Amino acid sequence: MAYRVLIVDDSPAMRTFVRRVIDMSGFELSDCFEASNGVEALDLLRTEWVDAILTDINMPGMDGQEFLRSLSEDELLRSIPVIVISTDSTSHRMASMASLGARGYVTKPFLPETLRGELERTLGVPCE
Amino acid sequence: MMRCALRDSVKDVLEKMFFVETLGESYTAAAASADQITAQLTFEGQPPGSLTMRVTSAAARQIAADFLGVDEQEVSELRVAEVVCELANMICGSVLSRMESATAFHLSTPEIVAAPESPATSPYSTVYGVELANGRLGVNVTTGIPV
Repeated sequence: MAYRVLIVDDSPAMRTFVRRVIDMSGFELSDCFEASNGVEALDLLRTEWVDAILTDINMPGMDGQEFLRSLSEDELLRSIPVIVISTDSTSHRMASMASLGARGYVTKPFLPETLRGELERTLGVPCE
Repeated sequence: MMRCALRDSVKDVLEKMFFVETLGESYTAAAASADQITAQLTFEGQPPGSLTMRVTSAAARQIAADFLGVDEQEVSELRVAEVVCELANMICGSVLSRMESATAFHLSTPEIVAAPESPATSPYSTVYGVELANGRLGVNVTTGIPV
């Protein structure tokens, strides 16, 4: 099965890298969407359904925390699993994002297999 | 403590995210020159401070190409700048995560800046540099208080 994923990050280079890493990891993508902040992501989610969202925290406009809060207040969108990708590996940040509804957390720097593992765990993909 | 955090962060980020091998520490003075790109960001938290990263142009182009998975010739100056900013952001986040702080940090958006004429002279500055295959990378972390 191939999945539809949305990458939310204000850095175009980072979005390209995440997409590349997903491809490198062997995780099957059917569609990969991109947004530069929470506002753009919410706009996109009005017309496109995705299986998972990968989001940064520090972004201008609407940051990752506010984006998660908005998702949790939407009856339809709150079911989409969100994985946070951040340089911040402090326990209080992880706990804070989890309390807002994040189901996964990947700390930069990360290896391709780490991101794949978190995507599979979050999506409930059975192990090969 | 800060120097160890900086050393481990630079190595970890370059190897895992940029597929770049470091060739040892650089002891060459990081003098400002036209042949390098400088990125800077500040952070709020305990302690507050700033991170300045300098990388020689050739090394920056190679790092950007490896990060984006394209040939060096295909990477525009804008993309090189974006990747250098992302590298500075990751190193800063990694360093701060290694510090046992009770507070969360907030990082500013990294920016490309004109290279300062001389390195920061704060007593709370930590400098670390590495040699790369085609250049050098140096990082200076300055905090408002001793760490």
